[in-house]
Amino acid sequence: MRLRDQPIRQKLMAILLLTTGGTLVLACAALLAYQFWTFRQTTLKQLSTLGNVIAANSTASLAFQNERDAREILAAFRADPHILAAGLYAKDGTLFSHYPADLPVTAFPAAPGRDGYRFEHAELVGFEPVTQVGNARLGTLYVESDLKAIYSTLQLTGAVVALVMGASLLVAYLLSSALQRTISQPLLALAETARVVSDRQDYSVRAPALGKDELGLLTDAFNQMLGRIEDQDRVLRQNVAEVERSNKELEQFAYVASHDLQEPLRMVSSFTELLERRYGDKLDEKGRKFVRYAVDGAIRMQRLINDLLDFSRVSTRGKAMQPVDMGQVLDTVRLNLSVSLKESGAVVTNDPLPTVTADETQMVQLLQNLVGNAIKFRTADRPHIHVSAQATATEWVFAVRDNGIGIAPEYFERIFVIFQRLHARGEYPGTGIGLAVCRRIVERHGGRIWVASVPGQGATFSFALPHHNGEQAL
Amino acid sequence: MAVLTTSLAGASGRRHAPKAIRPCLVGFALLFAYAPRLVAQASEYQVKAVFLFNFVQFVDWPAAAFPTSTTPLIIGVLGNDPFGPFLDATVRGETVRGRPLEVRRYQTVNEIGTCHVLYISSSEEGRLDDILSDLKDRPVLTVSETAGFDQRGGMIRFVSERSRIRLRINPDAAEAANLTISSKLLQAAEVVTPAKP
Repeated sequence: MRLRDQPIRQKLMAILLLTTGGTLVLACAALLAYQFWTFRQTTLKQLSTLGNVIAANSTASLAFQNERDAREILAAFRADPHILAAGLYAKDGTLFSHYPADLPVTAFPAAPGRDGYRFEHAELVGFEPVTQVGNARLGTLYVESDLKAIYSTLQLTGAVVALVMGASLLVAYLLSSALQRTISQPLLALAETARVVSDRQDYSVRAPALGKDELGLLTDAFNQMLGRIEDQDRVLRQNVAEVERSNKELEQFAYVASHDLQEPLRMVSSFTELLERRYGDKLDEKGRKFVRYAVDGAIRMQRLINDLLDFSRVSTRGKAMQPVDMGQVLDTVRLNLSVSLKESGAVVTNDPLPTVTADETQMVQLLQNLVGNAIKFRTADRPHIHVSAQATATEWVFAVRDNGIGIAPEYFERIFVIFQRLHARGEYPGTGIGLAVCRRIVERHGGRIWVASVPGQGATFSFALPHHNGEQAL
Repeated sequence: MAVLTTSLAGASGRRHAPKAIRPCLVGFALLFAYAPRLVAQASEYQVKAVFLFNFVQFVDWPAAAFPTSTTPLIIGVLGNDPFGPFLDATVRGETVRGRPLEVRRYQTVNEIGTCHVLYISSSEEGRLDDILSDLKDRPVLTVSETAGFDQRGGMIRFVSERSRIRLRINPDAAEAANLTISSKLLQAAEVVTPAKP
């Protein structure tokens, strides 16, 4: 697991401990190395001092070949248990006397080496010239010391260093686990607040502010942001509720109005029709014309009110969503439109159409409006209408393509707005509600509707319905 | 001369011997069959010559013993010289405290002028008391192997003890002559305090 993916607490702990640990290890290593070096130097110095003294003492015994005296002088090395061997070499390089006395002569160098003290293998050896002050050289003193003193001291130091390091790391761990909280706590609180906000959509929670540092400022800024969002959210909800309420009122008004208008209108139309039928021969030509206008108006008004009722019913009288076979829906549409299909000689073809979850009545209404429009806005050519469907990852896209008059791009949006007509009533009949109803139906199903067209070359109305569970397959 | 050379070779060959003096004896043993006396004497006086030279390093003379700062340190031999070439060979090229060394040979005590170490040959045994009284109070380190030398007012006596040469020192005599003998030398020797006459 990478450090980057670790929780921030562990990251902080890791950073603090690695820093302390690394520094400690470095410091301790340096200390040990320094200790080792100094102790080596000290040991060397001590041995050379001792060698110096013994060499000075042994001048006469070398000069006058007094072996007993020499042995006594060398025996002084017994005081230092680390001295393994010592020997006095005569001027000509032969071993004159040695310590300890029971050590075989073969254990000593055959001849004295270079003057001075040096580390050889695991030992410290030294060759000290024996001279009576300022005079000719009388011989050489050889000393050999083990380094056990160095190593035992080093071991002790190492143990102490390890102990100190362990204790320091423990203290560092305790301190850092306590101190890291000043950074991780506000961050964790902030993260928790953010999680609560996004989980519950509750903008009223606030992150606790802990201190005045950058994290405190961040928390303050975050809380202020939350406050602003909370205000805006409240305003938005109020507005939405307001809009919904007024929309509902409007729908209710439209429904009630159109419903209640029907009654007096029916009276007007039936009595004007009665007037035309019964008293038509009693009126002159002009009178009959006026009555006809009145009847026409009443019929048009009747249609307008019906369409308006349809429009408002889309949301107020909608039925439950259930699986709907769009192929059957198209068949129903063909049946409903059989008269105008026959009149216009139009051909409606289709690709295989899927089953979708929808309000079946509204699907019929939707397709019928679109196919009806395609027939209505035809050219002199025989109308050819093709219905197809295509699945995308998220929705079904249905297309109703015709070879009619087409629509100029600037009207692509306007045609879906209620009462927007592009043509004079005499040219193409209609109330200008059909496409608005279509849009309302599609939107009620959570989809979209749009048109693509080149004027004179027909139009393609498309609508997309989002997938519901398990209906991707054709 | 051939024998002598061989003897020296024998002496230098003691490199591998365990002890310092025993090698002398190796050479001695090797050559015993050919010239026992000469070899015995040769190695004995060779060692004694070295000792004479070494005395110089362990004894301090009063400043008056050296008329000038460049006066050589003189080792004298009174009477028959038993050292042969060894003494000259030992001293050659050596300096002590910056002074060169010089060997002089005297037949009578009257010839002795500036002298720092005087070896009195056993040939002078008869005249020893006269010689010592002549040298009395002069800063001359007297050395001899004559029996009773240290008891009679001499300073250092060579004593041949089996294969070794031991020293007997009379520090009172040296002190009387204003000479300081290093305690190290005293430690390596046998100190003698003669009964006052």
